[in-house]
Amino acid sequence: MNLNAPLPKRCSILIVGAGIQGLSLAFNLAERGVRDILVLDAGYWQGGASGRNGTLIRGAFSSVEWTCFFAYSNQLWHGLSRRLGENVMYSMRGYSMIGERTATAELLHRTREVHRECGIDSQLLDPAQLRNVLPALAHERVSAALHLPGSGVAPHHAAMHAYHKACERLGVTLRYRTPVAAIDRSAGRVSGVRVGEQRIDADVVVLAGGANSNALAQMAGVPLEGYPMRLEAMALEPTRPLIGPAVALLDRLCYMHQTARGEVVGGAEVAERPQDTLNADVPVMAATAKAYMEMFPQLGQARILRQWAGLVHISPDFGPLLGAHPALPGLFVSAGWCYGHAGAPAAGELLARAIVEGTVDERMKPFAVERFVQGRPVVEPGIVLSHFE
Amino acid sequence: MSLRLPGASGAPLSFSWNGRRLQALAGDSVAQALLANGIRGLAWTRKAHRPMGLSGLYTTGVLARVDGVPNVRLDQCLVREGMQVSRQNSWPNPRFDLLRLARLVPSGWIKGGFEQSNLVPSGGRLFQHWEALLAFLAGVAEPADQGFAGPPPVGQRLRAEVLVIGAGPAGCAAANRAAQEGREVLLVSRGESAARYARQAGAALAPLDPRVRCLFGVEVFGAYREGRLLLGAPIDPARGAVALEADEVILATGRRVVPTLVPGAWLPGVMDARTALALAADRRIAPGKSVVVLGDGQQQALANRLRQLGVQVVAVAEVAELQRVIGHNRVRAVQLERLQPCDALVLAGPGLFDDSLSFQASASGRLQLVGARSSLRRAGSTAEPDPALAPAQDAAVLLCPCFDVSGREVDELLEQGIDELEVIKRLTSCGMGPCQGQPCWDSLRAYVAGRLGVPVLQLARPTLRPPRRALTVAQAAGLCDVVEPLQ
Ligand SMILES: Cc1cc2nc3c(=O)[nH]c(=O)nc-3n(C[C@H](O)[C@H](O)[C@H](O)COP(=O)(O)OP(=O)(O)OC[C@H]3O[C@@H](n4cnc5c(N)ncnc54)[C@H](O)[C@@H]3O)c2cc1C
Repeated sequence: MNLNAPLPKRCSILIVGAGIQGLSLAFNLAERGVRDILVLDAGYWQGGASGRNGTLIRGAFSSVEWTCFFAYSNQLWHGLSRRLGENVMYSMRGYSMIGERTATAELLHRTREVHRECGIDSQLLDPAQLRNVLPALAHERVSAALHLPGSGVAPHHAAMHAYHKACERLGVTLRYRTPVAAIDRSAGRVSGVRVGEQRIDADVVVLAGGANSNALAQMAGVPLEGYPMRLEAMALEPTRPLIGPAVALLDRLCYMHQTARGEVVGGAEVAERPQDTLNADVPVMAATAKAYMEMFPQLGQARILRQWAGLVHISPDFGPLLGAHPALPGLFVSAGWCYGHAGAPAAGELLARAIVEGTVDERMKPFAVERFVQGRPVVEPGIVLSHFE
Repeated sequence: MSLRLPGASGAPLSFSWNGRRLQALAGDSVAQALLANGIRGLAWTRKAHRPMGLSGLYTTGVLARVDGVPNVRLDQCLVREGMQVSRQNSWPNPRFDLLRLARLVPSGWIKGGFEQSNLVPSGGRLFQHWEALLAFLAGVAEPADQGFAGPPPVGQRLRAEVLVIGAGPAGCAAANRAAQEGREVLLVSRGESAARYARQAGAALAPLDPRVRCLFGVEVFGAYREGRLLLGAPIDPARGAVALEADEVILATGRRVVPTLVPGAWLPGVMDARTALALAADRRIAPGKSVVVLGDGQQQALANRLRQLGVQVVAVAEVAELQRVIGHNRVRAVQLERLQPCDALVLAGPGLFDDSLSFQASASGRLQLVGARSSLRRAGSTAEPDPALAPAQDAAVLLCPCFDVSGREVDELLEQGIDELEVIKRLTSCGMGPCQGQPCWDSLRAYVAGRLGVPVLQLARPTLRPPRRALTVAQAAGLCDVVEPLQ
């Protein structure tokens, strides 16, 4: 990581943003034999959402589209340490979705049907089974629990470290502290970017700028749906294991797990005007604490070590914006990620195929950038996020 | 071996430490009572199992299990009759502790981020067992025996024209001045009374203006919404948190002594001036049988005061003379120009300003590394520039005792060209334990600046995140209806 080395004058594929999306794509392109890949990032390594998330990897949702995509990504996570040659520490500890209201129990039953259609191994846990999986849970509050034994978590620092090392090994050029200031086009297609005064020619430019995606699209002179939004999380002081699997408390828009370092890490959503800042605030911490206290009473006296915020890019249907941009040949997008940690292995691979081979995989197709103007949003009811109204 | 000095007061009571009955005096904190009984090692660090104790420098050293609740701060918890206290991070029990074998592992093998090694890659069954073992070891303490009973302690919201944080001489003076101007003042302090430390040091003080409203025993730990909203938490976890708003905020939190960057500085027996003075002046407990006092200017005054209080001070010197602290389970000697045997080392300086609140009130930008001008005003020693910490001479220094991150480990990253403190933090876990980087990020910053040969202030410190364990989950839950989300 030599920060002061001069930037190349040209490259084949230029990726703007070295979060997990940018790195996964660079790795997959390099693995397919693409040379002269350049990844530029305005900040420091792991400074974006990819270094600030809850690290949960959920291999199935409530819609067929999301389930097919994330099941594939989860499957890739299983073998990722071997492929990258570095430990991503993917922990297959299971993922439990907990419902409290009757309507949520119904959603979980419908979700189970979707999983069956898609060939996903998931189980609706009866009270005895749930006691076994999550003994510390306030069982009297639960209306239904759907468990995904094949899902899990992977610490973001390990994953980012592994992708970073693998990219370096395959000859990808990575530069941090290098903001892209302009995106150029000539003869009707994208032709390069500018960093300060310097121009870098590129055949293909990929926007993987996370929360900054709208600003990047504007630089390229193309429209892009979505907006930046702050998400917050917090970590509790470590204890020995109390909570085994990753947990989503659907009625509280809350997710959590206990890390291998013993900290309980998670966050809840509150209805607030979307904030474009990295400063954390009080309501999310309070709502998360309330959810913990009511659902895992043994956490009531635990102390909060730290709280923090990250910025993600939210699309109108919360799904990713993945693929070629229809308005400018040579421009590709990987944006709109609110589960972009979980989705990175699949997104990187499928987008690399789209760029190199020009083929759009069936699992990626529903998330096309142009789906909103075509009136085809993807409806996914099983996520812990909502738009502010 | 009792360290209690003559003239102690308080009703005698008894409590237990690892199942052993001990005597204390009412009014002692648990950590003070243990030291009075000659017990110095209170906690084990989670990896190398280094002993740590009451220091005022590292929170980790005073965390133990009290009556079934893990991670209680023994320096903030008053001892009660029949209280059961036990040392954490041991297995199967504190008296027969197999985890102590970790101390045989060469220190160079243990790394902050060791859990990220390629030793056991994920993807197979073995990894799940390995991870379970790591989680057990890293967790340090068993979860609470029981769930939280009853509703959360409800938070409250307070407003004032002027909010003064810190009730030392500078804070009291600022509060008095504002009150005399006819403004409505709220003075908040962690201590249970005003100017505790100054009084222990023997200073005479002007009384507080009766118009100053006081909120004592509350730690202000976080600034939100560009400094327009601050949060405080009572030291007593049964009381609700407070949300504070004011037209003007004055920081008078003074300076916090930072550990000297020499090997052994984490050992039980090393402590800051405040901790030593509180022991000797308030509780009539000597920091040790023979005490060395070091500082960057205040050491002679502190030594005189400690002697006046009956403490045996065997040497007084400039902190720059300190080369290493020697001992296995506790301080046995310090290496100055000569070897000085002792069982306690008291540091009177250097002190840094804790700028968490001003950082949180001002940090801006997508990376949060640029501190804009803070709206919080500083008073007293808080307003003076920080002294530059001396660069470390030795790679064996421990930068972060919680995660056992040594200078050597940081050197390895520097050699790879990784010199961004935020990245070093993420790769080594430095400063991510219970102390939350206080003081480790100052140490890390001084260490890296020394290695790179750049001024300390040129390096952005990792972000200082609230609440740094000031707040319990229940206290935070009690803020639900107190602070509305931004609409
Ligand atoms: C609190 C929180 C919890 C989360 N929990 C989960 C979870 O449990 N599971 C999950 O799957 N996902 C989770 N997410 C979402 C996940 O973190 C993101 O979806 C994912 O990290 C997105 O990756 P990215 O690479 O697209 O974005 P980022 O990691 O944000 O990377 C974008 C990069 O682009 C760079 N950039 C921007 N503009 C420019 C420019 N002009 N020039 C150069 N570089 C530029 C930025 O510096 C940044 O590094 C969470 C997010 C947050 C904030």
